Parts: sequence; C-alpha cells; structure tokens
Amino acid sequence: MSTPSIGILDLGAANRANVARAIERSGARVSFVRAQPELDACDALVLPGVAHLGYIAAELDRLALRAPLLRAVGRGVPLLGICAGYQLLFEGSDEAPQARGLGIFDGHVRALRTARLPHMGWNRVERSDGSADWAYFAHTFAPPISACAIATTELDGERFVSAARRGAVLGVQFHPERSGAYGRGVLDAFVTLAREASCLQSA
Amino acid sequence: MLAKRVIACLDIAGGRVVKGVNFRGLRDAGDPVDAARGYCDEGIDEIVLLDVSATNEGRASALDTVAAVSAAIDVPLAVGGGVRSVEDIARLLDAGADKVAINSAAVADPGLLARAAERFGRQCVVISIDARHAPNGYEIATHSAQVRVPRDPIAWALQAQELGAGELLLTSIDRDGTQRGFDTELIAAARAALRIPIVASGGAGALDSFADAFEAGADAALAASVFHDGVLRIGEVKDACARRGVTVRA
Repeated sequence: MSTPSIGILDLGAANRANVARAIERSGARVSFVRAQPELDACDALVLPGVAHLGYIAAELDRLALRAPLLRAVGRGVPLLGICAGYQLLFEGSDEAPQARGLGIFDGHVRALRTARLPHMGWNRVERSDGSADWAYFAHTFAPPISACAIATTELDGERFVSAARRGAVLGVQFHPERSGAYGRGVLDAFVTLAREASCLQSA
Repeated sequence: MLAKRVIACLDIAGGRVVKGVNFRGLRDAGDPVDAARGYCDEGIDEIVLLDVSATNEGRASALDTVAAVSAAIDVPLAVGGGVRSVEDIARLLDAGADKVAINSAAVADPGLLARAAERFGRQCVVISIDARHAPNGYEIATHSAQVRVPRDPIAWALQAQELGAGELLLTSIDRDGTQRGFDTELIAAARAALRIPIVASGGAGALDSFADAFEAGADAALAASVFHDGVLRIGEVKDACARRGVTVRA
C-alpha cells in the first residue's frame, strides 16, 4: 500500500505540529508547504486551525498560494480544512470582514449567538442518520447550515455545520487531531482519500 | 450539548511533574509523559502543562517536555509558563501546544493578549490569573505567586477578555494543593462578570468538589494532586458530576 504525501499549508499560525503528528499516525508522509512547487507535489492538502482568519487569509495571498490551491482543488486533489482552515473555505467571515475566503463552500461564517464564547470543549458531532460522536471545539465563529453539511452541532439552541464536504474537499469545525478515537477515524478517512488520489494520479 | 471539562494539570520543573501546597514546597510527582498518557487513557478532557519555574528563571517553557507530552495524547494541550511574546507562542504551538496560557507577562504587557489574538485567534489565548484573599476582597499575584499585585482578579480578567483572551484559567492560591474544594465564591464572581469560559483551579478535593465548581459557573475544573496521588480517578469524578446532572463527555 502506498504512503500518500500530505502537505500542511504553513500560514504562520497553527497547531501544525499536532496536525502533522496525527496525520503521520494515520499513515501519511507530511510536509509543510509555503510555495507553489511544494504544493503541486502533494497528493492531498490540509489547512490547519488555531489562527485568526484575517491572519491566514493575508498570509495565503502574501505567499501567492491562493490560485495554486484553487487549481489543485480543481484537479481533484483532496483538501481538509480544520477550524479556522475550514472557515477559510467559505466566502468570508465576520472575524475578518475585509478578508476574502476561498469560496469553495457557499456562505458566510458568522459569530455564534450564544452568550458564552468562544465555544470551547467537547460537543456532539451529529450526522443525519442519527449517529453522533464527541469532538473537541475551540472557536467563536461558525458556518451556517448549507447544502454541503455532512454533520451539525448544537450550542445553546443554535445549530451550525461542524463538518462539510464538496467533492474531495472536507471541512471540520472541530479539531480531529485532538478529538480522541473519533478524530483519528476522521483523519484515517482523509488519508485513505489521499491514497486513492495518489493512485489515480500515478495510474 | 457542550460538556463540562475535567482537566489534569502537570506542573513541570526540571522535566518532572512537581506539586506543592499554596505554590510552595514542591515535591516530585512523576514523569510527565507517563502521567499524560495515563490520564488520556482514563478519559481526561484536556491537559494543562505549566512550566512553574520558567518565568522565575527568565526563560520560555521547556519545549522538549511540551513535545513529548503532546505526542503522547489525543486531547487538547494548553501550555503556560514563561510566555512573554508572540514568538514564544509560535514556538509552543510548533512544539505541540494547542492553546497558550499567559500570566505574568500579560500583567506587565497587556497588549500581548491582543497581539496574540490577532495572529492565533482568541480561542488560543488563555489568561491565567493566580488570585488570593486580601483584606478587602481578592488580589492577584504573578511569578508563581511570589510577586503580589494589588489588583482585583475579576476586573483584570474582564480587561484581559476585552483585549483578546478567549479563556480564563483562574487559580486560587489559598486553595492550591489543599484539597479543600474550589473557591466557588471566586468562580461565581468571575462567571457573573465574564463572557469567556472559566477553568476553575486550586482546591480540587472530594468527588463533589468538581460539580460544586461547575454549579458555581465554571466551564472546566482542573486538578493536579488528587490525580497524581491517585486519590481520585477521572472516571469516578465524571460519574459524580453526571449524578449531579452535569453534562460530561462519556
């Protein structure tokens, strides 16, 4: 079985060490990507979290990675966005009104309405078939309900999309690298997607 | 529904877990990696690692210990001790932290909280406050409780929240290591004033002390000695919380 090569976009703010360790544990080779040639060489890509959206959106443009990233997505290269990296996949966010999102997912990320923010800790990720798992969240903003939703989470009566998918692009509001066995399963599935993509490209 | 968190705290000095009473008389309490892995297996919700000698030795947290502990767990890791700059935070994240706690440096340079939040988001920035009773209410202390600061902890927490802190780690110096229960009066005062989540710290003792902290308004309750010494198991703490109607992660 081949070992896929997964690139974590290094946009200057992330818990990238923990994301890298967790993805390696799921069976992939990991590199940090700061330039187009490195990005183009990867079987799959990750936008990690633990960042202010405005900071990573600006860094994406400063490193001239926006167009190469969108072209990779257009070629079907799998992409996983985590937390702030997930929010960057939408059109924009209240966290940084002047920043432009990638627009891969439709909609605008807004501040959660609950009085207690950030949303910090373990909450349920609920799928449409009624199954659910605990995952770790740490965020103030979240995407609204949309067609791309594959799981939602409830907080003080408000429901937001905690996992979304469009083609080979996946986004999760929680931190799979810090969400125990469930999180490991999410990353295992993404590495499997990366492995399939690497086989398709080499076929 | 968001669960209340049970957190284990590893106070680190010289690469070992240490623990004292009222921040004094530190004794050895084991290997940090073994402890973190054990707590993770028992269902801990988060680990806090505090390098308790870093600030007073004028250095940043021990990055190798952070990396080793982080690699051993699959729950979030908050790290504090000697954090003085945005670059210190970047180094801790690169070693394996998911959140960073700032205490003494924020008192000296409150703008650090804003600069940290602008880069890493406020959910990454924990304001750590060590508080104790004073003749008229409470006051805070920095440098592992060695430097007295005549400032109200709640007013300071509110200022920190407005600057960019996304969580409060609120430690009672009076209760630290005593196993007499959390300072619920202090927790309730913080809850009434703040929007950000509150981690109660100092005094974890009887099984019911955790639910007491949650009912007073804490979003998480942190303990060290009672876990290190095997006085309480994490599973029984969560069972006791659930029996009092507190939502915990199974």
